[in-house]
Amino acid sequence: MDNNPVNEALPDAASVEDNEQNVEMPSHTDESLPALPNSAPATPKADNKTPKITVVLCPVGGAPIMRQRKWEVDSTQTIGFIASFIRKKLTLQKSDSLFFYVNQSFAPSLDQTVQNLFDCFGSDGKLILAYCRTQAWG
Amino acid sequence: MAEDREILREIWEGRLPVCFTLATEEVSTPIAPDPFYLMVPRLTYFPLVTDKVRRHFVRCVVPEKHDNEMWLEFERHPLKWHYPIGLLYDLFVSNSELPWQITVHFDKYPDNKILKCPSKDVVESHLMHSLKEADALKHKNHIMALMQERDHKQLWLGLLHDRFDQFWSANRKLMEHSAEDGFRYIPFRLYVPQLTPKPFVQYLIKPVENEKKLVVEDLLQRANLNFESKGPFQVVIHGIDIPLETPLQWISEHLSYPDNFLHLCIRYSQT
Repeated sequence: MDNNPVNEALPDAASVEDNEQNVEMPSHTDESLPALPNSAPATPKADNKTPKITVVLCPVGGAPIMRQRKWEVDSTQTIGFIASFIRKKLTLQKSDSLFFYVNQSFAPSLDQTVQNLFDCFGSDGKLILAYCRTQAWG
Repeated sequence: MAEDREILREIWEGRLPVCFTLATEEVSTPIAPDPFYLMVPRLTYFPLVTDKVRRHFVRCVVPEKHDNEMWLEFERHPLKWHYPIGLLYDLFVSNSELPWQITVHFDKYPDNKILKCPSKDVVESHLMHSLKEADALKHKNHIMALMQERDHKQLWLGLLHDRFDQFWSANRKLMEHSAEDGFRYIPFRLYVPQLTPKPFVQYLIKPVENEKKLVVEDLLQRANLNFESKGPFQVVIHGIDIPLETPLQWISEHLSYPDNFLHLCIRYSQT
């Protein structure tokens, strides 16, 4: 498999990685999908803010890189939300395909939340998501 | 496991009678089409069993909509095609009314609420990736990765054609585990729309900890949700009220859906 999930070799990506601050991903994009149900959250949050999760977006299989790889994402956001975010950042067309992989093995469903994936597959306090334009791991 | 084959078979044969009706505002013929009745397997996905439903209703909508993707609705909930049918029923039908009354649409696909399903290939891909995710939890994805393409096809075709033996000839490999420890983690999803805005919650839980077999109650305790706050509740899968003392390893081997996940719904009694 020649899909190295981390483009460390690229000086651009590496330097960004070294001194970047985690940047908050905006909570909404026009096409965030699918919407979460409107029911009230179960446990009232002390500071009334949704907890954030550090998501690292790694291009694989020759996918375009983004200057910023580490993002702070609302834990309730979905993979679909991140997908539309990346599409905007990379100015992908609607017809362009975009795939996500966790653990170099499976593609999470677009309505899966960042929190669930982090709880099950996070490591070192972050969730690593590989993205690519063509299917990488079947 | 062999002695429990009867249970696997019973679960596989779970069926739901469904009455499909075309949304009245989409009827373009002078007389509304008859409802369409179907017995559907609980374990499968709607796009795999609704070709006939589509054919029955599509002639009664305006020609411009004939190529539109069909979608289904129950009491204003668009039904997610990528949830197994039995899960959708356990999740949305609180009064156990049968046949299940589902409305068929060809117009205004709610693509902000449900994913698109342009073909059965998409369902196959969804099933395969769910199986890989489950296997990543159970065996670090070793078994799915080592399986041959042929075995992956057995899983898919077994479900598609409702063939128990074909499906289980490959699925039993995914259920292998060491005798004492069981799976690494139990693949499950817990649906509690009453208590959380998330569609479901998922976290790591082992079947055995400190030589103690964990049970459904242990799983609930780690959800950090106050289940009792809404009154007495049941944990439901395949329409069965699961005793809280059921061991997680056993339930995972026997009551998982074909995607190898336990889709557990919390149901509160009607008041």
